[in-house]
Amino acid sequence: MSVFSRNDKAPEPVSSAKPPETKPPERGDITMSTSYSDPKSVPVPPVSGLAPAMGAARPAAQGSASIISKALKITGQLESTEDIEILGEVNGDVRAVTVKVGPNAKVKGTVYGDEVELSGTVEGKIEAKKVVLTRTAHMSGDVIHSDIRIESGAFIDGHCRPEFGKTESKVSAPKTMTPPRDLSAPEKTNGAAAKV
Amino acid sequence: MPALPRRAGSLQDREEIASHLARALTVKGVLDTDGELFVLGHVLGRINADRLVVVPGGYVEGDVVARDVLIGGRLNGRVFALNVTLDASADVTGRIFHHTVTVAKGAKVDARMPWRPPSYFETLDQLPETRT
Repeated sequence: MSVFSRNDKAPEPVSSAKPPETKPPERGDITMSTSYSDPKSVPVPPVSGLAPAMGAARPAAQGSASIISKALKITGQLESTEDIEILGEVNGDVRAVTVKVGPNAKVKGTVYGDEVELSGTVEGKIEAKKVVLTRTAHMSGDVIHSDIRIESGAFIDGHCRPEFGKTESKVSAPKTMTPPRDLSAPEKTNGAAAKV
Repeated sequence: MPALPRRAGSLQDREEIASHLARALTVKGVLDTDGELFVLGHVLGRINADRLVVVPGGYVEGDVVARDVLIGGRLNGRVFALNVTLDASADVTGRIFHHTVTVAKGAKVDARMPWRPPSYFETLDQLPETRT
């Protein structure tokens, strides 16, 4: 009781000065709350707040290439039906159409692809139709390819074997290449046999 | 290593260390970055980032530790982040440990959202085990 009575009494003497100060914020709150109750004004802040942030992702991402930045380290496997650019570190296998491994990037594992351009370090294996080792490339392991370009300065510790799509092709090549052939080949031979 | 990575400096630096995981990409494993991570594809595993953006169409399954998280896609798992924003297109299942959270009208949320003080996130070296 005494507490309440004190409070009641205290404001009164100062009332001339304080009430005007305290009331404006209340009015501000009221106007805020009224604006919240207004359905039109509510959605605008979140939408305008979120949309640009999402939009920031789109321009770069619409190039359809994934970018593993220099600050990103991935432990695990990456699989894509499009392109990947690795500038960071990957411990695990990478599978994509075109794989670019940047100058300071590092991959421990196997890199599969149609095209692999290596400017960084790979410890493991590269299996690709077309392989490019630039002058800053550092390759520890075998390269299985059907077309390779090695620039002066590239480091290779391993075998370069032109066997892509021949022996160890179970992985990337059959998916796109062999099934159509297998399907079409028997039909033709059957047709030919029937005609003969 | 601290659970929350340090914030990157200039805008250019942040642009440079932003990672984009395109629609066609599926990553299984642990992703660790002190920059931004944009997910348009699928991620199954653990994510450590300064800022995670799951773009509409993107999907994340697993635990996420970040300073800021913006979700416009689907997420199934746990989020540990100071600031969490769920966009209208978000579809979230799991737990969202946050300090501040924003949920846009239209977001689909099937999740617990426990509040934690900032200190909780700074000292988050080992994630708690929670029952689903």
